[in-house]
Amino acid sequence: MFRSRTPVLLIAALLAPALIGLVVFRLYPVALAVSDSFFNMVRGQQLFVGFDNYLSLLSDRTFWKSMQVTFWFNLLINPIQIALALGLALLYVQQFRGVTLYRVLFLIPIGVSLPTAVIIWRIMLTQDGLVNGLIGIAGVPAQPWLTSESLALYSIIAIATWKGISYWMIFIIGGLQTISPEIYDAARLDGVKPWQRLIFITIPLLRPTLLFVLVADVSINFLLFAPIFMLTQGGPADSTNVLMYEAYKSGFIFGDMGRAMAIIVVVVAILLIIVAAQFKLLSGREARQ
Amino acid sequence: MKTITFAIAGLAASLLAGTALAQDKTLNMIVIEGGDTAAMQAVVDAYKADHPGIAINLQPYPFAQFFQVAELRLRSADAGIDLVYVDAPLLASYASRGFLSPIDAGIDTSALVPAAVEAGQYEGTQYALPINNSAQVLYVNNALFEAAGITPPAGLTKGETATQADIDTLASSERWTWEQVADAARKLTVTDNGRTTTYGFTVEQFGELYQLQPFGESLGSPVIGPDGYTAKGYLDSEAWTKGATYWSDLYNAWAVSPKSLGYGEAASLFGNGQLAMFAGGTWNLPILSATDIDFSVAPYPYFEGGSVVTPTGSWYVGVNAASANQAEAMDFAGYLTTSDAGTKVWFDSLQQLPTYKPLLDTISTAPEYDAFPQNVFRLGVYDSLNTAKARPVTAAYGQLQDAFRTAFVDIANGVPVADALASAVQKFESAASRVAQ
Repeated sequence: MFRSRTPVLLIAALLAPALIGLVVFRLYPVALAVSDSFFNMVRGQQLFVGFDNYLSLLSDRTFWKSMQVTFWFNLLINPIQIALALGLALLYVQQFRGVTLYRVLFLIPIGVSLPTAVIIWRIMLTQDGLVNGLIGIAGVPAQPWLTSESLALYSIIAIATWKGISYWMIFIIGGLQTISPEIYDAARLDGVKPWQRLIFITIPLLRPTLLFVLVADVSINFLLFAPIFMLTQGGPADSTNVLMYEAYKSGFIFGDMGRAMAIIVVVVAILLIIVAAQFKLLSGREARQ
Repeated sequence: MKTITFAIAGLAASLLAGTALAQDKTLNMIVIEGGDTAAMQAVVDAYKADHPGIAINLQPYPFAQFFQVAELRLRSADAGIDLVYVDAPLLASYASRGFLSPIDAGIDTSALVPAAVEAGQYEGTQYALPINNSAQVLYVNNALFEAAGITPPAGLTKGETATQADIDTLASSERWTWEQVADAARKLTVTDNGRTTTYGFTVEQFGELYQLQPFGESLGSPVIGPDGYTAKGYLDSEAWTKGATYWSDLYNAWAVSPKSLGYGEAASLFGNGQLAMFAGGTWNLPILSATDIDFSVAPYPYFEGGSVVTPTGSWYVGVNAASANQAEAMDFAGYLTTSDAGTKVWFDSLQQLPTYKPLLDTISTAPEYDAFPQNVFRLGVYDSLNTAKARPVTAAYGQLQDAFRTAFVDIANGVPVADALASAVQKFESAASRVAQ
């Protein structure tokens, strides 16, 4: 009889908006993608094709090349972004002359919307743009930043990193502030060197924050679309053709929704595996503490 | 969930249909924003004068979004549109998926240019009617040629008149080759301290199949085979390799062309005097005539030893298969494309080369077309009758256009010609095989 006092209805009512949002904006689209991936449009008819769309991806060279690009992109961008965000956060909490200017400078990218940032960078990276002008002063010849097969992906990584790190930095600053200063004081008394403080105190105590940043950053970068759509359309020679762009092209340019949805389901599956692995690796030791 | 959506859409459609029946009929048409919408509105106004019971509501979309919107709305069998603006090469893709109604047999197409009528057919059935045609020419900046001490190609210039016979001679015997264009372009390109201040030559539509199809066709190879799904042996043939190498040299070896020009940028560079020549559509004439650039218009070039092939094809009108107003929509489509009144209003408003033969005859013979720039349409008449080559008919046109554009943009950016063409062949064939199944 005591249990009836639990305000079940209230809990349900309070959770309802979030749950409805989750179902409508997350689960329903995923279910729709899965169901559409089993169909093909042939001569105006929706035909059930079972796993054909997935099977044809197995022998699809464009798909595998795109998979390779997606993994290479993520292997580079995620460690770079997190390392830089951590470095910036450590600088941010220091006290030194001009720290306010530095703080403002690094918060600017957050205030710029992604499409705006991408347009500004596109102008700066043209053949006659600011970046080539600056390296020209140093005597370096102008580089085809976005139009060369060997540079385009790295240019996109640089732009996305510029845009992304200060956002992640804020989370890490939050994490740094939860570390009690007494621990550092004790360490200082014990004569611990600054780099040891970082490795043995700061990073282990930041683990929950870093886990969150890692998971969120990997999902965002795995699903990154706007800079590629706006700057390179997957080119040159497919060097920036990530799976998200390949799926977009398949569905919205070629009208091949079956293939597009199959690619999306593969992307979601890969992402789930990666996130699960991250949780396991990073929260394992946390549980023992 | 889908069923519910359809049920609601059906309910809404029947309610709307109910109101329409009670009063007059309203037709909806999707068109491209800008000049096309203004011209269509003029035709609609003229049509309404004779058909008081019909209202036609235009829904304009920007060019960059039009294709996606049309694809999505047609695919979802959206009864909210009756008439559709159809780009010629997409016709097969729409028709093969049942998006368009067969054109009413009662509409007489005998007064239209036969090639344009055929491009509106898929597997022997007429699915769309040609609204107008298109023609490409070579725009030449006379002052820049003079400054470089080069004789410009023979062409039509401000202040001079030309009869159809004069223009036929010009087009058949004084047409420049691409080799002559390259030669002149290299002398006309000016660089200052590593920066190009004057470019010798460019095409208006960077990397687009419409614009570049003559590169390989002039040397003897179509883009794809007659089945519509094979590119091997065509797009990677010797002819296309030679054409694509010329394209590569424009950007890399000779550096006479600006890379990655957006829509309309060629005309504005030319209008600023920073570009000596560009291959572009006759639709640039009104803009360029308004500038103080001293320019002339020459025929579209061809490769030495090859045949003369020029771009063609433009917009069509079709009736959405899901429309509830088939008869009314057909009647307007017929008025727009096959009536004296409708075609005249359209041409006067948009200045695009017509497909309606009586109007073409007027352009060839009427004295008001003797003077520049109106006489440029006579060049269009010659090319559309003699050298025009339509784009390939395939239900996988979107895939072909994308693979082609990717390859030619990559080539301009320095990817080796053979690699880019091989990759385009592979990508087109694998995407097309999913349409052909």
